[in-house]
Amino acid sequence: MGETIRNIFARQKWMAIAVATIVLAGLLTAVSPVFLTLSNMQSILVQSSVTAIMAIGMTFIILTAGIDISVGAILFFTSALFAQLMIDTESYLLAFSAAMACATFLGALNGVLVVKFKISPLITTLATYSIYRGAAIHLTGAQNIPVPREMGFLGNGKLAGVPVPIIIMIVIFIIGVYALTRTRFGVYTRAIGNSARSAQESNLPVNRVTIAVYAVSGFVTGIAALILLARVGGLQSGIGIGIEFTVIAAVILGGTKLTGGSGTVTGSVIGAVFLVLIDNGLNLMNASPYIYDIVRGSVLLAAVAVDRISAVRQQKAVEAQRAARIQGAAVAG
Amino acid sequence: MKKLFGALATTAMLMTTAAYADGVTLGLSVDQLFESRVAVNNGIKAGAADRGYEVIEVVADGDAQQQNAQIQSLITQEVDAILVCAVDQNTIERALMAAKKAGIPVVAYDRDLPDSRVVQAFVGPDSTFDGKEAGLYTAKALDGVDGEIVIVELIGALNDQNGIDRSKGFREGIASLKNVKLIEVPTDWDSARALAGTQNAFQANPDIKAVFAATDTHIPGVETVLADLDKIIPQGEPGHVVVTGVNGSNDGYQAVVKGVADGFVVMGTDATGRKAVDLVADILDGKKVERVNVIPGDFYTTADVEANKDKIWGAN
Repeated sequence: MGETIRNIFARQKWMAIAVATIVLAGLLTAVSPVFLTLSNMQSILVQSSVTAIMAIGMTFIILTAGIDISVGAILFFTSALFAQLMIDTESYLLAFSAAMACATFLGALNGVLVVKFKISPLITTLATYSIYRGAAIHLTGAQNIPVPREMGFLGNGKLAGVPVPIIIMIVIFIIGVYALTRTRFGVYTRAIGNSARSAQESNLPVNRVTIAVYAVSGFVTGIAALILLARVGGLQSGIGIGIEFTVIAAVILGGTKLTGGSGTVTGSVIGAVFLVLIDNGLNLMNASPYIYDIVRGSVLLAAVAVDRISAVRQQKAVEAQRAARIQGAAVAG
Repeated sequence: MKKLFGALATTAMLMTTAAYADGVTLGLSVDQLFESRVAVNNGIKAGAADRGYEVIEVVADGDAQQQNAQIQSLITQEVDAILVCAVDQNTIERALMAAKKAGIPVVAYDRDLPDSRVVQAFVGPDSTFDGKEAGLYTAKALDGVDGEIVIVELIGALNDQNGIDRSKGFREGIASLKNVKLIEVPTDWDSARALAGTQNAFQANPDIKAVFAATDTHIPGVETVLADLDKIIPQGEPGHVVVTGVNGSNDGYQAVVKGVADGFVVMGTDATGRKAVDLVADILDGKKVERVNVIPGDFYTTADVEANKDKIWGAN
């Protein structure tokens, strides 16, 4: 029985974060009668949507053993472009099309730079972070730009009683899971992360797939940007600062290995929800504002430590099984 | 006659030279750019232009190390004075000491450096007063409300003195209210966090009576939450949530005009910027200046906001 559970955990990388989320939710239910209400559940999912959507894109990048530090800057640039175009043209269609095209282009540009110049993705996207953010500040003159309240539908509207951000998150989640598990693109993505060299030698389109994963991340970041813009009510120069770390934390908490090759979209989405749960719980308990960072950091550390310990145990179990097999074969021989 | 013209010409030249103040150049070291900071910087540039000073502006993008390097660069360029809004008060002192050694006076603006041995003067908002104004309005609006009065406070960055002082002032302002439950929501000046925190606070306490935003740029997010909960109720009617903030941005202005926010404190950004230049001029002239100079904001409500539009920096 224990072995079966261990095997499930080993196969489904997202199980650890799912269990951690359930445990945390159980604790919060015990301390706050409001926690397990439908409206609070909706709030949590709506608040998770921006991080979760970006985390889905980031999962593909990290699966290739890459990383994109510039997603917060892409989010800010896309928001700035959309808000500025709305003011200049008052055309939703134009502003939306341009913002989404721009977000995809900026993501793809990261991919091209990583592929063509063979510079570490961390350094490349650190540089583009600065460029994209600086360009957005230049575009807007660091001014706040309100967006029309009708745009709020994207952030606050409902379809059949379900908040629009949750619907968008679910749609992108389904597409993400499908793309990663049922398409050649997903197989190639993991293959590149496992060994780019082997993938190259197997004639896989390594460069094209790498550029594509960065472009996909840019595209979904564009969608997240518009949801956030609609919810916050306008462009502010602080938008997106530090969100890249939350997104990466969600992906890593979800069981995706930073070294690439192994991970799931499901885990990343649960990781995003888990991070929101921490703040939601602290808010519901009216905790002192001074302990937020301590609790957030401690829970993250604990989650990563538990994940690491279970990984080491699994590794030891696999090695023990292998040793037993070798020993058995030697005895039989 | 020739001598007279010659003397006049010489005097005119001297006056012109004096008007350009012997080519005084100010180094403006900015922590990062956002709307209200740009508004203060514009006040500095306007004040400098009036005096014929040149301004070299550097922006650190929130990076303390970068700001230190930029201050060093300003010293190398031999600016006559440095105006600084520090990213981090602990790490900037070493760079400012170099300015002192080079004989360059330093004036801090918007964010004080109270422990600095270099900064000769500070000018910035009277954040305690500003917060108190919002608190007093809230207390008056909720006077006579029975039972527990739940108020949400969207706190700025916990290490930012302006945020801390606004919070302190707000609490002083609502001190007359009895039976207050204050829900503190840390935002780190991030509107997305403010939005999520407000949403969570309303989940736990559906009967919240008031929201105080340390910066009015959070108010559109508060509006989102109130709209979600069908709680945008006109002022004066039962169930109305009293919303106030500090800053004076267009976000705040629009919210007060619409009546979503009851009122907001408008900071004197232009006055702050111009005062900073005046302080530098006095120091360069060898005059004694006050170490701490604060400029209190003005509180406007939905009733008088339009009449005072030209005094609201974010509305123009």
